[in-house]
Amino acid sequence: MKRGLIEWDRTQLPPAVLDSRLARVRAALAAQNLPALLVYTDVWRSNQARFLTNFMPYWNRSLVVIPVDSPPVLLCALSPRVYPWIKSVTILENIRPASKLMQTLDQLCAERQWRRLGVLDLPMLPIEIHSRLGEIEIVDVPSETICEPDDGEFSMRRRAVSRARQILEEQLPRGAGSLDHHFVGHLEREFRRAGAEDLVIRLSSAGGSPAPAKGARLLDRYSVAIALEYCGHWVKVTRPSADAEALRSRFDAALAAGLSSDGGHIENLAGPYPYEAGTGSIFALHVEHQGLYFGDTCTGTGAL
Amino acid sequence: MDLMAERHWDSILLYGHGWRKDYFRSLVNVNYSGPYAAALLSRSGDVAIFVSDPWDRELIPGAADFTATLPRASAIAGLELMEARFVHGSPASATADVEELRRIKTLDEIECLKQAAALADRGYQYFADTACVGMREYELVAEVEGFLKSNGAEDNFMLIASGGTEVVGMKPPTARAFQPGDSITTELTPCVNGYYAQICRTLVLGDPSPGQIESFSIFSEAQQAAQDLIKPGIRASDAARAQNDVFRKYGYGDYTGSKYTRVRGHCLGLFPDETPHILEDVDYVIKENMVLIAHPNTYLPLSGYMVFGDSLLVTATGNVRLNTTEKKLFVKEA
Repeated sequence: MKRGLIEWDRTQLPPAVLDSRLARVRAALAAQNLPALLVYTDVWRSNQARFLTNFMPYWNRSLVVIPVDSPPVLLCALSPRVYPWIKSVTILENIRPASKLMQTLDQLCAERQWRRLGVLDLPMLPIEIHSRLGEIEIVDVPSETICEPDDGEFSMRRRAVSRARQILEEQLPRGAGSLDHHFVGHLEREFRRAGAEDLVIRLSSAGGSPAPAKGARLLDRYSVAIALEYCGHWVKVTRPSADAEALRSRFDAALAAGLSSDGGHIENLAGPYPYEAGTGSIFALHVEHQGLYFGDTCTGTGAL
Repeated sequence: MDLMAERHWDSILLYGHGWRKDYFRSLVNVNYSGPYAAALLSRSGDVAIFVSDPWDRELIPGAADFTATLPRASAIAGLELMEARFVHGSPASATADVEELRRIKTLDEIECLKQAAALADRGYQYFADTACVGMREYELVAEVEGFLKSNGAEDNFMLIASGGTEVVGMKPPTARAFQPGDSITTELTPCVNGYYAQICRTLVLGDPSPGQIESFSIFSEAQQAAQDLIKPGIRASDAARAQNDVFRKYGYGDYTGSKYTRVRGHCLGLFPDETPHILEDVDYVIKENMVLIAHPNTYLPLSGYMVFGDSLLVTATGNVRLNTTEKKLFVKEA
């Protein structure tokens, strides 16, 4: 869960980047004669709303509504007491309390006299919301046309992955012989002090895929897989305690071979979730050799 | 199984995603990390498991690929959260029924919650020992998170705030540096073997102001009123009213509503914010072996936002406090 630093550094991610993304949304809406786009977001599924508005719910779920002709509206189940904070880290100025999301959406649609609504990745909408959209015509707007990574996205992911590589490589020698819980705690402290917003750590020792810590002692040969969220941008990096160069060669070969090499495990990092099986324009590739793992965040042209 | 027979369900699917793992983990208590997981329980008692992350499939031998093989089911717990593309046919929602089953904890579950509460106590002591003037909110959170994970927490839900009467609620940490006189509020909710227990305390850096002292005395009385009352047979609304009445008695009834606060407590278990919530309009009868927190957390003009609460196990005749941290306003030299 997000409990690290959530902030918006406008020098790293200028508002103009978000303006251009909203312009892309509005062009897509206009092309389909749609008055607005609905974007679902929750604690774990926050990539798309973050891409468009920099909003990342630390708790609960929300709907972002992007009208074709006016600023975005956030329908938010979080307390109005945190709205000033939300406004400080997002482009959102119009926030409506929405403990009952669909009721508030209905009111907004009625006010704006919307009879049609675009929904980002409609089939992926939670059924509770999907089934309540019966009153108006809804149109699926696939995210591929809206959320294709741009230079701003690649730049932020580069920052994130650079941070992940540096911290992991500095701290990796400290793990051997320690309890996995202790090492995970140490990594949590280091990453969150460096501004990590969320973190998922898996370890592999004595064979087997990387898994959550279970109170076992790490052997000399072990691997750490980190999924890091930094300023809303997820990356994954996996490093072994030994044989790093051999594994890196294997990783490079798998990447060069178009990901078809045996043992390659590929995850899409460009979708709505932090990571999921499959490929994407930003993806993580992990390779295994003799019980050790190496992985990194990549694009079609190589590691980020 | 009894529920399935009663409802005439041939099968029930317990669905989880990255945020809400609780329905799945109520049957298969494995901390998966992919976006989806599901467990199918059939009337014969067979359990089939589906996960989306290949590494998760190694964690759970025999687990199948979620997206390729997810079967139909008579009923689904967590149906409302499920992506529309995964819902086939017209399954019944088993969400409310399964949540009610989960509210009454088994002895094993209570043991996990006791361990989580003990870790929350140690975590709060570490929090209080570590906080100091000049430290930034997110740095303190990093330290506490590291402590909890080092000591076996698999997760932790935590909010924080710092400052004075301008503070109206908690949120994720900012880069604000602590100053003398600050109230630092937090709720720590470490997770042990899937189960979350919570503690809420307020720490003052430096000598507390008269307003902070007066405010804490109200919070303390309100929390104690709920703790004295909670037992099987009382209603969630009663536990909320007992707390709110203390605020009303001192002229602060306006600060018990949704403008200034969220809930007066909630249940705990596989999700850190389980229902029923402790609110004056929640008509739910509390039962033995439920675990909940009573916390009158709210804003008061005396002190700004303040928090105070403990996890409570409902017994046959009352409740026992699972936290052992002293019930006081923590004060640390600035």
